Amino acid sequence: MSGAVWRASRAAVRRRRLQTFVIGLVVLTSTVALVVALGLLDAASAPFDRTFDQQRGAHLVATFDPAKATDAQLAQAAHQPGVTDVAGPFAQVVLTAPPDRAAPAAGVDTPPPGPITVVGRADPGGPVDRVDVWSGRWVTGPGEVVVMRPPGEHWGANEEVGSRLILPGAPPLTIVGFASSLSQTAGAWVSPDQMPALHPTATQLLLRFAHAGSDSQVRAGLTAVTAGLPQDSLLGSLSYLTVKQDMTSTANAYVPFLMAFGVLGLVVAVLIVANVVSGAVVSGSRHIGVLKAIGFTPNQVVAVYLVMVLVPGVVGCVLGTVLGVLAAHPLLHMVFAGFDYGYFTATLSPWVVVLTLLGMPVVVLLAALVPALRAHRLSAARAISAGSAPGTGRGLRVQRRLSGTRLPRAVSLGLGLPFARPGRTAMTLTALVLGVTTVTFAGGLSSSVAAYTDAARDHVQSVSYVGDAGVGQVEPKLTDAQIEAKLRSLPGALHVTAAAPVELRMTGGSQVVRGWFLRGDSADMSSAMVKGRWMKGPGEVVVGTPFVRKHHLAVGDHFTLALDGRQQSVTIVGETVTGDADRVDATWETLTAFAPDRSSSRYVNQYWVQLAHGADVGAFDNAVKAAEPGLNPSESGDVNSVTVTIVGSSSVLTLLLTTVAALGVFNTAVLNTRERRRDLGMLKSIGMTPRQVMVMVVTSMAALGLVGGLLGVPLGIVAHRLIVPSMVEAVGSSLPAAMMQVWHAPTLTLLVLAGVAIAVLGALVPARSAARLTIAEVLRSE
Amino acid sequence: MISEDGSEQVIVRLDGVRKEYGDSVALDGVSLEIRAGEAVAVMGPSGCGKSTLLNMIAGLDRPTAGSVFVDGEDLAQLNETGLALYRRRRIGMVFQFFNLIDDLPALDNVALAAQLTGTSAAQARKRALELLDELGIADRRNVYPAALSGGERQRVAVARALMNRPALLLADEPTGALDSHAGEQVMDLLIDLNQIGQTLLMVTHDPRLATRCASRLIEVADGRLVRESALERTP
Repeated sequence: MSGAVWRASRAAVRRRRLQTFVIGLVVLTSTVALVVALGLLDAASAPFDRTFDQQRGAHLVATFDPAKATDAQLAQAAHQPGVTDVAGPFAQVVLTAPPDRAAPAAGVDTPPPGPITVVGRADPGGPVDRVDVWSGRWVTGPGEVVVMRPPGEHWGANEEVGSRLILPGAPPLTIVGFASSLSQTAGAWVSPDQMPALHPTATQLLLRFAHAGSDSQVRAGLTAVTAGLPQDSLLGSLSYLTVKQDMTSTANAYVPFLMAFGVLGLVVAVLIVANVVSGAVVSGSRHIGVLKAIGFTPNQVVAVYLVMVLVPGVVGCVLGTVLGVLAAHPLLHMVFAGFDYGYFTATLSPWVVVLTLLGMPVVVLLAALVPALRAHRLSAARAISAGSAPGTGRGLRVQRRLSGTRLPRAVSLGLGLPFARPGRTAMTLTALVLGVTTVTFAGGLSSSVAAYTDAARDHVQSVSYVGDAGVGQVEPKLTDAQIEAKLRSLPGALHVTAAAPVELRMTGGSQVVRGWFLRGDSADMSSAMVKGRWMKGPGEVVVGTPFVRKHHLAVGDHFTLALDGRQQSVTIVGETVTGDADRVDATWETLTAFAPDRSSSRYVNQYWVQLAHGADVGAFDNAVKAAEPGLNPSESGDVNSVTVTIVGSSSVLTLLLTTVAALGVFNTAVLNTRERRRDLGMLKSIGMTPRQVMVMVVTSMAALGLVGGLLGVPLGIVAHRLIVPSMVEAVGSSLPAAMMQVWHAPTLTLLVLAGVAIAVLGALVPARSAARLTIAEVLRSE
Repeated sequence: MISEDGSEQVIVRLDGVRKEYGDSVALDGVSLEIRAGEAVAVMGPSGCGKSTLLNMIAGLDRPTAGSVFVDGEDLAQLNETGLALYRRRRIGMVFQFFNLIDDLPALDNVALAAQLTGTSAAQARKRALELLDELGIADRRNVYPAALSGGERQRVAVARALMNRPALLLADEPTGALDSHAGEQVMDLLIDLNQIGQTLLMVTHDPRLATRCASRLIEVADGRLVRESALERTP
């Protein structure tokens, strides 16, 4: 770039301080939205994929019945064309820890209640599932165990290397290490020599396939492997896609709407940059003529205009990237908190920053190129003679018709102004349409998410946890029945449910599910149903949509649950809008049927209480603690953090994009006002009052705002209909149609008026400056 | 316009008007009276303060010191809206470069001035058509400014200035941008208007315009009135 071009560009930047500021701010805002959206998109899959690749994770964990398929048969079956790597067969047993956990002695650890899968494995490495031993060492012989834990986590009070682990039905084992497996192939590993003493019930095979990008590909791989094996030898399987979905579903919920905001921001930025440069070319045509007259080549003139835009564009991009990175970190932390299981840390990838820093200026340049090329084509003589006077012949018929209406003249003149520059009007209108689309979409998103949260919550205000001696807590003195009766008698209690979470196995599958056996008023405290009804009798269960999707079941289907070697067939009678993919809600009678000879009460570890309207949760919890010190009451989180984050971040992004749209209008109003300085001066000279000037300028933009509102609202509704279901889909849930019906006539009217409000806000400042124009100066300078 | 004591009414009175732009003084203690029905020409070299004087009287700019009374109104007492209403009702302005709105045809340019006062579009157009007819360009009423000749544009501008029956018509170099033929036409128009009683104040470089149209000549130099003389109109 020659010095002359740089000097001319610098002068142009100084001369157009306002436009420079607008471009910088618009690019900054769009960049922030884009960095956050891309960062989240990347974080939703990249860390899992990276860790999965490092560990050579198993695409499929399959368990077989050793009585039906021998190790030799399994090894033979795994040699299929599509199978790239195999680990195993490994002997496997599922041991179930009892719910009544006694206080452990020093140096002894007992696992939490529920089943624990123990696998005999000689080596943590190998071609598949390279287990990460992050503390201690791997087992070398009988009597040793490595416990599966995410890095840095311990679950028991005495859980440390060197302590003894008491597993039900197994001799005491010494913990020699802690390890993690992203594929979740076991809860504990022992030496293969140890397994005969544990009486293995299954054989585990870990597989990697050449093609495993989709569920169908993984299923096809499994079908190929099991094709030659005896019938019913497969007990169950777990796809890595299911594990990935479990870990990243919350982040996935954010991606669709953040991407929508990012794209909207980008489009608005392109429009506004093009509008600014176009305006600069039109209003600066005399300047272009002068540049050409003194020897600038057409390309140099184009370069002047591109550099003029690039300076604020780059500054906005750099600042936007910094702000985006700062905004993305807490968001990523919040989104992945509790969902990454410590396997990976969600961080903003460098490629997001690099792509944004390089891409945004390119977008800005491309947006400026078309109008800048007009400067290239403009002849010097014509440019100089044209000056800044407006062209003729545009929108004349419209002006003529408007002048004959009964509208006040300031209003009719204002209504005619947009027709004078149809190109600029179109770009401003598009920015307004996108602004209203954003407001509409964000409003619908918030309403649907709020409706979903309301339907999903289980109307529990207080949860009282039973003290666990295993972790050093005081145990209750009252019996289960006495506690329930006591809670019902406390002031404010409306409904009480005793809840017994029990780890169960679904037969036909290796996966553990958590059964919530409920006693009391669960029907009055349940979340909204998508299909079916609430459970009533023995063998009836209710599950959430994530469970239905994961296990490919539906309302009316039967499946078998196993606990302590007993099996029971259950029927899905209802589907709730939310819930865990591995959670089954069942009646108390179902738990009793599992173990008729034992007291089911020992499984109860919490009591849910719904309080009467207006009751004080804190006072109730204090009363619980006073009545039974062995209970640990706590307020049930009424507000879902995901909801708060989605509503909060969409509100912030809406505010940003609305500001950008208003800036677009502001820019157009400024350009129009500047171009029409002579007309405004003349109108004032024949008696137009400052108020009439303001009315004229504001009307010109308000009219666009109204059209923007009328077009933007339907587009926002369409965006809502497309994006919200995909968000809910991403978390493996479903949204009843009623929750999408968030639009009502008053709301729609207000949304249409939002376009007018954006336009009026953007036009007010230029209108005021137009009203204050010094007539003598304007008319003299022209 | 005759006052109660039999003398012609003073339309414009300036008392010690001074106007400064930063360090430079555009007008320096100008006092002046213009009576109803007069046609006054202001002449002087470029930058002497002629246009500033016109702007003070038109209420387009405010003096640094001194007072301006037009048709009994003290302009210093008016706010911006008051000045706008004053311009709308009391004065009409004609500019060197016409200052017509390019997007409106001749008729609507003229009607605009009345419509700003709240007159209905139909009534305003009727009055505008009458004026265009009187000025001899009614057949050009639907033509846009870009397609009018210089003389026609200035006639449209004059019609617009007369639309609200102003007490005072101000003209800033009204023939400055016109060829000699068009200039003659505009001069004839101004003479006709003055002869039917329209008070006229024009700023010009053109001695021919002054001697043909004005009955009094005021000469300005360095912001001061240096000479004032009665003129015999030349045919």
